[in-house]
This record gives sequence, structure tokens and C-alpha cells, in this order.
Amino acid sequence: MSLVAVGLSHHTSPVEIRERLGFPAHTLPGALLHLSKRLDKAGTVILSTCNRVEIYVHYAGEAAVARDEIRAFLGEWHKLPEEEFKDALYEHEGRDAVGHLFRVASGLDSLVIGETQILGQVHDAYIAAQTEQTADKVIHNLFQSAFTVAKQVRSQTAVGEGRVSVSSVAVDLAASIFGNLTGKAVMVIGSGEMGELTLKSLLAHGVQSVFVVNRHPERAQALAEQYNGEALPFETLGDHLHKADIIISTTAAPRTILHADHVYQALKLRQQAPLLVIDIAVPRDVDADVGDLDNVYLYNIDDLEQVVNENIEVRRREIEQCLAITERGVDQFMNWMGSLIVAPTITSMAKELEIIRERETQKTLAALPDLTEKQRYEIEYLTKRIVNNILKRPMTEIKHEVGHHDPGTVVHLVKRLFGIEESM
Amino acid sequence: MVVALHMAFYLGSLLYVCAGALSLTYLWKGDSRVLQHGVRLIWGGIACLIAMFAIRWALYGRVPLTTLSDSLSLFLILSGALMVFITRRHNVSTLLSFYLAPLAVVGLVNAAIAHRYLTEAPMLLQRAPLVVHVGLAFLAYSLFFAAGMTSAAYLCHMSHIKHHRTTWLTRRMPSLQELDMMLSRLLLYAYPLFVLTLAQGLVWAWLDPSPLGPQWWLAPKVLLSFVMVLFYACAVHLRFAGMLRGPKLSYLVLFGFAVLLVLYVGLSLFGLRGYHFWSGQA
Repeated sequence: MSLVAVGLSHHTSPVEIRERLGFPAHTLPGALLHLSKRLDKAGTVILSTCNRVEIYVHYAGEAAVARDEIRAFLGEWHKLPEEEFKDALYEHEGRDAVGHLFRVASGLDSLVIGETQILGQVHDAYIAAQTEQTADKVIHNLFQSAFTVAKQVRSQTAVGEGRVSVSSVAVDLAASIFGNLTGKAVMVIGSGEMGELTLKSLLAHGVQSVFVVNRHPERAQALAEQYNGEALPFETLGDHLHKADIIISTTAAPRTILHADHVYQALKLRQQAPLLVIDIAVPRDVDADVGDLDNVYLYNIDDLEQVVNENIEVRRREIEQCLAITERGVDQFMNWMGSLIVAPTITSMAKELEIIRERETQKTLAALPDLTEKQRYEIEYLTKRIVNNILKRPMTEIKHEVGHHDPGTVVHLVKRLFGIEESM
Repeated sequence: MVVALHMAFYLGSLLYVCAGALSLTYLWKGDSRVLQHGVRLIWGGIACLIAMFAIRWALYGRVPLTTLSDSLSLFLILSGALMVFITRRHNVSTLLSFYLAPLAVVGLVNAAIAHRYLTEAPMLLQRAPLVVHVGLAFLAYSLFFAAGMTSAAYLCHMSHIKHHRTTWLTRRMPSLQELDMMLSRLLLYAYPLFVLTLAQGLVWAWLDPSPLGPQWWLAPKVLLSFVMVLFYACAVHLRFAGMLRGPKLSYLVLFGFAVLLVLYVGLSLFGLRGYHFWSGQA
């Protein structure tokens, strides 16, 4: 019985190779069924995202056979010679394969460490395998364990905290000031690309009203229409400032266009409600004095990038703790899998000892014909207790050992120790 | 009974201290299970302190509200329960860690001073209205305490955002707007209770002035309490009229809380005596 993971990711291959080996959603069911059949109905899951293509297989035979078959399948399915992608592939088996999946599901192997999208993609891959009935008992438990570990990593460490792009940091900032962004209003001054990206992120998080201010009315109109907002003439900027909870300034103006007195007046009209000003223009659009006003939070592009860098650093610092959690998860899974492998051997071992116990007890009882029924029962009971006590520790240790060493070796050793037939 | 009394008291204080430590751990590590354990410890602490009060009541046969330790224990019970309830109701459980750590300090102080006061018995002022008066006062104090801590949390969070700093603390905090709303709600709950406490005290003193004497209204605590009623009336009015919010409101509430602290503890430390002070047995 072997567990194998074969695949390639952004770590090992360029996008040119990944895109050729990917499995679009409509081809996934066919690919799953084909590979599973090829490996004698092995448990199979295919994870295909823009950053990775990975195949997880639980195969009844040797791991090497499974690996060869997966490689051949990839080449045949995508009509590519194996030589073209062979070097980009990584292959894991047993404990390493489990650890790899747990790290992938937890976002520790992602391009952006700690990102959460991958967990959804792993989940989708597992659901697809379930739908096509290529997920057997081991695969089912493997993926359920991966989801549990990923959740533990997220809840017990800070690896998922803090965003790592400028636009999402702006959303985080807005959330740390306003909480829920539903119903908040955003004003975009200018039409820079970064400003639009930030606007999109804010809209995705519940911001509802959009005001667009631009020196060129047609540009303001175009952007406002695109996001169902309202275009305002640049000259009236000061009159409408109080309507916005978040201001994104991204003009190409050579000098500042928003001054402290504008914002002070707006705050009065807003009854001192907080205001987030994001100045992503270079040169800056917003006077630095604006940041000194109470209830105003001013961030320029450098400030945002500084936050991004700090967040990346926080995630990096958490990796060690995350890996410890995934390792614990791997231990638990391998123990479970070990018990699955060793279960028939333990049953045989118990049977073997029971035969010995039965035989020897009968000999003793035959030599003592004058014993009462109760005494005979007590002797039977005594021998059973002795055997159970003798078996208790080896059974625990065997289960433990198969989680940490090659199960085949452990099973072989036990069989030799207790004289169990190899065919059993 | 006395052993049980001491055990309940010290175990209660210990549980508060442990809950405070767990809440700080939560702020540091972000593991929400740690905070849940902290909440369980607080409930345990509350149960122990209530048991302590019950034992004292059984031992002395009267309302056991006579010493600073009793007051602090009552404050710990009410504050602990109120804070868990309010933060759950308004879904700002992370704010709880900002409340629990100072409560742990109060628990520690209480445990440290208790050996002087714990078994002391009572005084003349043992009448039914006392329970209502002290109960209301401590409910109001607990809410003002929570408001003070919320203000501190607001100012800390605001300073971090204003100065572009992201730390483990800011990542766990509720948003500034949620903190501001919480602060307003706490003022709104605490102020009427404070006014009610004073009104009830006035009616009681007017109907039965004998224990306090004819000059009861000249007591510094009574006078300062009236000043505080006016102060909080202004703060509540300005907040809800939209003229005061955010950092300025937080500073004002912190100042108010500091004055309340002087009112409650400081005046007694300055040596003032009377029935409004826990060391004022006549």
C-alpha cells in the first residue's frame, strides 16, 4: 500500500510548462477516472491551479509503479513527451506526500505565504474526486486531515494575518477604522491604475457609494459609469469631500491638491466621523498636515508598502510554528494509516497467541481433573488476562512505529517475532 | 467555614489573575481558544467570589459589604460578568482581553490587601437600602471602568493606525468605529445608573439621615459625585450631538474614570473618614 504525490508548481517550473500540464475543470472528471482505472482503481485526486498541478494517489502496489504510471499518464493525457516536463516534477511518497499536501493546503507552499485561496482549490479537487468516486477511504481521511490542519494553522498562528498587496492593505486599513465597510462611501480623485485596483478591492468588501473626481470630466464619467458611481467636477471637490469615508487620490498633479483646511471643513460637516485618506500619487496629492487632524488617517504609497513588508515579515516569522502544526498532523495521519496497514497483522498475532493459550490451558486442565467449574473458569480467565496484558504494549508500540518507520519492515518484523505466516 | 472562606477568596483572585494572563497571551498569539479559556476562568473566579460573599454572609449574619476588599470583590464580580456579557452581545470579544488584564491587576491587589480585611466584621450601616445603593454604584463603576478601558484601547489603536504601525495588538483589535460605538454605549448604560445611584442615596439619606449625620451632603464623595454627574452629562450630550467623538471623547472618558478612581479609592487614602469610605467604621 503506498501513498504518492507527483506534481509541479511555481517553485519548479515556469508558467509555460504549468499551463500545458493543467487540467481545466471540464477535463478533470475524465482524467480522474482514466488515471484511477490505470492504477487498478487507486484512490486519486488531481489538484490543478494556476500555480501547481499535483496528483495524489493511494495505490495498492509499490510506490515506484504508481510514480511511473502518473508520469506516463501526464505525458499521454497532455500529449507531451515526458522529457519536456520530467525535470520540473517533484515526487513524494508516504509521510513526505502527506506533509506536502498539508503544507500546500495550509498555504505554506504558496507564492504568497499564508494565502487562503489554495484551501478552497484543494477542497474543490477533493470534491471532484468524490463526485467521480475516485476518493477511497485513505484519500478521504488524508484530505479531511489536510483541511483540519489548514484550519489549525490559520487559527493558531498569524500566518494568514495582514494583507500583502497595496490594494488589500488599503482594504485592511479601512476595515480597522470602520469595521464593516457596507454602506461606506469612497471618493476617487484622478484615474490611476492603482487607484482603480484599490477601488475594486473596496467595492468587493461592501463599499457602496462611489464618487469620481477628475480634471477631465469624460474620464470621471467613464470611471463612474464603470463602477455605478457619480462623477463630480474637480472644482467642486471641496464641497463634496464630506460625503466620503475613504478618499483615494491618484492624480498626476505636480503639487498637492488636498489641504488640511479642506479636510477640516469636511470633518465638521461629517460630525467628526473618521476619514481614511489614501494618497497613492507620486508626487503626493495630499498635504502631510492632513494627517495631523483628529479622526483623519492619511497613508501615502510608502506607508502602504511599509505595511505590506511588515505583513510579509510577520508571515515569514510564523512559518516554523506552522510547520510544527503540519508535522503533528502528519504524525496523527501516519499513525492512523499505520494502524490500517498493521491491523491484519495484529489480528493474526492475537490469534496466534490465543491458539497457544488455548492449547496450553487445555493441557493444564487435563492434568487437573478434580477442579470445580469455578476453578476451571478462573484458570481460563487468568490465562486470558495474561495474554491480553502481554499483547497490550506490543500493539501500542507497533501502531506507533508504523507511523514513523516503513510499515512493511515493521509488519515483517512482527510476523517473524510471533511466527505469523507471511501469506496471512 | 473560615478555611472555605479563604479558599474561595484566594482561588477567585487567582482565577482572575490567570484569566488576565490568558487574555494577554491571546493578544500576543491570536489563538481564540486561549481567550475562551480566559472567559471560563473568569466565570470560575466570579463563582468563587460569590461563594466567598455567601460564606461571609452566613458567618456574620449580615450584608458583607464592609471593607475595601469586599468592595473590590464586588467590583470584580460585576465587572467580570458585565464585560463578558457586553463583549459577547456586541460581538467584540477581542476587546475582552483589554478588560481582563486590568481586572487581573485588581484581583491581585485585592488578594494582596485582603489579609488585613477579609475576616473583619461589619459596622453600623447594615440596612437593606445599602445593598441597592452599593449594587447600583458598583454597576455604574464597572461600566465606567469598561468605558475607561475602551478609551485606552481606542487611543492605543488610533495611535498605531495614525503612525502607520502594525503590531500584534492592532491586528486583534476591533475597528475604531466599533470602539467608538462601544464607548458611547457604555456611557449610555453607565450614566443613568450613576444618576440612579445618587438619587437613591439622596432619598435614603433624606428619609433616614441618622447614620450619616445632618451634614451628609457635605461629604467630599457626595459633592464630587454631583460634579461627576454634570461632567458625564456634558460628555454624553456632546457625543450624541455629534460634537465629540474619537480621540477627544476617549481622553475625556479616561479623565472621568481617573476622577472616579480618586473618588472611590483616593479620598480614603488621603485619610478622609465617614460611612462613604471603607475604612470609616464609626
